[in-house]
Amino acid sequence: MSVAMRQTVSALALGGRELRGAWSRRATLATIIVGAALVAPAVLPLSGRMPDLAGFVYLAVAAVGLAYAVGLAGIPSLGQGAFLGIGAFAEAIARAKGGWPLLPSLACAVLVTAAAGTLAGLATGRLRGAFVAVSTWILSWIVVLTLTSFPGISGGAQGLVLPQSRLTPTAHYELGIVLLVLAVLAYLVLAPRAPGLALAAARERPQAAVGLGVPVARLRLGAFAASAAIAGLAGALSVELAQIADPSTYGPFLSFKLFVAVVLGGARTPLGPIAGLLVISAFSHLAEQIGSLRGLPPGRVEMMLTGYGLLLVLGLGGAGLVPAAWKWWRRVRPSAPAPAARSTALGEPPSAIANREPLVARGLSKRFQSLLALDDLDLELEPGTIHGLIGPNGSGKTTALRLLAGDLAPDSGTVAVGGQSLDAEPQRERALHGVVGTEQTTGIFPELTVLESALVGAGLRRHYGGALRTLLQTPKARAEAAEAERRAIGALEFVGLAENADRPAGELSAHEQRLLMLASALATEPRALLLDEPAAGASPAELEHLADLLADLRTKGLALLVIEHNLRFVRRVADTVTVLAAGRRIASGTLDAVAEDELVRAAYLGRSRI
Amino acid sequence: MQRLAIPLALCVLCAGCGGSDAPKAKTKTLLIAVNAPFSRTPYLGQTIANGAELAATAITTKDGEYRLRFKRYDTGLSAGEAVANVRRAVADGAVAIIDEGTGLNASWRIAADADVPICVTYQGGEGLVDPTKRPNVFRIAPTDHGTAFRLAEYLVPKKLKIALVIDDSTYGQEGLKSLRRSFAENPEAVAMRLSVPAGAANLAPEVLRARRSHATALLVWGEPGTIAGVVSAARASGWKVPVYTPATGGDPLVRQQLANHPDWVDGLTFATGRPTAEVGPGPFLSFQRLYEERFGVYLVGVKTPDGADVVQPPDLAMYSYDFVNVLSAAIQRAGGVKDGKKVIAALNQVSVPGANGDHRGFNERNHEGVVDDDVYFARFEGMTYQPVKDDPLSRNLTALDQTR
Repeated sequence: MSVAMRQTVSALALGGRELRGAWSRRATLATIIVGAALVAPAVLPLSGRMPDLAGFVYLAVAAVGLAYAVGLAGIPSLGQGAFLGIGAFAEAIARAKGGWPLLPSLACAVLVTAAAGTLAGLATGRLRGAFVAVSTWILSWIVVLTLTSFPGISGGAQGLVLPQSRLTPTAHYELGIVLLVLAVLAYLVLAPRAPGLALAAARERPQAAVGLGVPVARLRLGAFAASAAIAGLAGALSVELAQIADPSTYGPFLSFKLFVAVVLGGARTPLGPIAGLLVISAFSHLAEQIGSLRGLPPGRVEMMLTGYGLLLVLGLGGAGLVPAAWKWWRRVRPSAPAPAARSTALGEPPSAIANREPLVARGLSKRFQSLLALDDLDLELEPGTIHGLIGPNGSGKTTALRLLAGDLAPDSGTVAVGGQSLDAEPQRERALHGVVGTEQTTGIFPELTVLESALVGAGLRRHYGGALRTLLQTPKARAEAAEAERRAIGALEFVGLAENADRPAGELSAHEQRLLMLASALATEPRALLLDEPAAGASPAELEHLADLLADLRTKGLALLVIEHNLRFVRRVADTVTVLAAGRRIASGTLDAVAEDELVRAAYLGRSRI
Repeated sequence: MQRLAIPLALCVLCAGCGGSDAPKAKTKTLLIAVNAPFSRTPYLGQTIANGAELAATAITTKDGEYRLRFKRYDTGLSAGEAVANVRRAVADGAVAIIDEGTGLNASWRIAADADVPICVTYQGGEGLVDPTKRPNVFRIAPTDHGTAFRLAEYLVPKKLKIALVIDDSTYGQEGLKSLRRSFAENPEAVAMRLSVPAGAANLAPEVLRARRSHATALLVWGEPGTIAGVVSAARASGWKVPVYTPATGGDPLVRQQLANHPDWVDGLTFATGRPTAEVGPGPFLSFQRLYEERFGVYLVGVKTPDGADVVQPPDLAMYSYDFVNVLSAAIQRAGGVKDGKKVIAALNQVSVPGANGDHRGFNERNHEGVVDDDVYFARFEGMTYQPVKDDPLSRNLTALDQTR
């Protein structure tokens, strides 16, 4: 037996053991439901309804795909119907006009839709919230208008008729169920692991996530493209089922319906979109009944009911039906908290990466229109030292930190580590070089747990933590995930938050949240840590604790830059300080030395001593 | 033992009472699906369904007695939905489908696989009906080919410069194919061709373009809303151009949308299948009476200059009515519905008197129930229409009473 084979067998055996260990009643229930759905056509008299059922399942696949964008990445896309249409017409054109066989045409449809999703993602990448919704909504109009404007390509109002397929509606249904299960499982695997946590961090506080080296733009683009590709596959298969691609099917109402399904059922759980679609189908049947009784067009009644449903969910907090039902179930049947699955993860105290070189800034300047925020700043952060950056409000301290961290580009000046220039490096690259900054505001991710927040930082050093490897759970990805967890727990232990690992970060006190921010930054294994007002609002006891932590980090060889207004705290921790006033450095040295400086006294007007 | 004897005796008694020498014939129900745009163009959908429901309701064959049941499936004018409806109808066990025509290019196969005949009773698109390739597809409605050629035949001698305005509905796109062919030999008669979106709120820019092309007539082929939009845009701009349309021009929706400007409707001329035949208006008037007794009159919602309510004659309904009667005859001939192929074959062999007095029927080589020449022209005046006097076929037709 070859080595590779032995490794595969051993990995499979390990996987089997882990599966047995992790098997739960919920997994049994899910297996029974999926099994029942798969055998239903064989035991129930459904043959006449199979096309409708298969069509519903494909729509559910697209809705779960949309949850990747809306739920995981927080992109409020109203263009999923357009991607379904692109996939459908790519398939129909390849099959009806190109005469392609089924599998190549499906692959083509997925690729075309993924490409369209990538382009749309690039175009909307810099937009946020409502603007993304509006632009994707426009996209859904553009697609349907394009299709109807070129009847030679799309078949016009009569649609494009596909060659007869060998797949029966029952085969489509079974295939759809398999795809739906895969889409749900992929969501469940990704959401609590590195890619999902990074996306969640980007969704909640993009700036803080970028500060920890999360490639926010790339991840969001990936999630959007994946969401589009899933819709493309569903669209391609659904036209194979319908045997006709009709432009009017993929109008903006379809996008609206899918979005409502996701929001109605709950975007943060893959079962939410399925539940949402079931509710909308129920609305549709109800609308038919009301329409026939009252002589109203059913379509209008359906839209009305769907709108009321959406308003109800939003009025109840917007989490969706499935999370609300789960919450209610947990209240009715509280269960003992499951033991944290971290038996193998022993925390390791944070260690700085090989750190013998200083972080050096020379001549940093930044102007915001007429305001000169920073003027010709020179700064040197030696490993194993704490440098305080002080000055009155508006003196340019935070600007300096942002320039060092790569959050802002300087107008002039350079930043280097060990002689290597970081000028061209964006924030993530600087974080990879070990230069990490924290935000002035409390940059935590309130919906993540404490451990998950630290894992976002620990994800920076991962090489095998991409979506595909995470989905496949390759041995390297698993080993690296365990290592990242050890690092994250170590950072939490260091700051004293390990006991709170499973609490939502939003439930921590303000000081604990600042400690969590520090732990997340430490989990990135920085060489230079740039802290913006870490002691703001802390009690004397908390200040002592924080000072001890910083001192510990200094002894571990980290270079620390601390921006702080609390001069007692600065005196307690800083080896040297730089004083800024109106963007210019006015003094530098030990705090005692600069305190005697006349300019410094003048800057701190009203203080006889600093 | 005694306790058992009494129930046993009762059972024997009951069995004796319930039995008879000859088994009682059971009436079976046959489902006929009506696949039409009930929500998008309610008048059209309702009329097709009403016509079908007015026809034969029971069929007696050697296989037994059948009662007909009709089920409505709404296409919303979407080809995808129309195809899905045909699938549902087949699943529901429909023995025949009466179809408006949208999505037929895909739906006929589904019906063919189940040996279910489909009859188109509205759309006249070329290629929809092909006895060789689509043996289960029949049509009782004027063809686009016939309508377009009759329009060309009528308009070209008038030396008009015609702007063809086509909307992007299935109806419009199918009509365009026929118009291209019908005007191919007289390209000088066409000033320009314009494509407009069906259901557009404002067609003023398109109409302006047509006017700038020096067109002296508009031929609008599209949904009723498109026709109303074009007439409205032309008249609002003061352009008194003659407007010609296919059958959709006679749809009540056109007059309803132009109700505030009755004079704008005057002169609008449309081509449609003739409701009366050589035998005179008698058969159609009988059909109309029957229809109105059952469903009431269809009030258009506008009045004549004299203040009379305008009603819509059920001319479109006669096509679905005729098909159900042809189907009934075919089922009788086939001896039942057990074998769909036999019913389809029988449809090629029967003919029945139609609602307008013509004979309706098909054969192996021709699945068109209305011949191309059976298209006449009617012109609106005072919110009602009369056959035109400048066309030989139309001139001899009797005007239908359209007021109450």
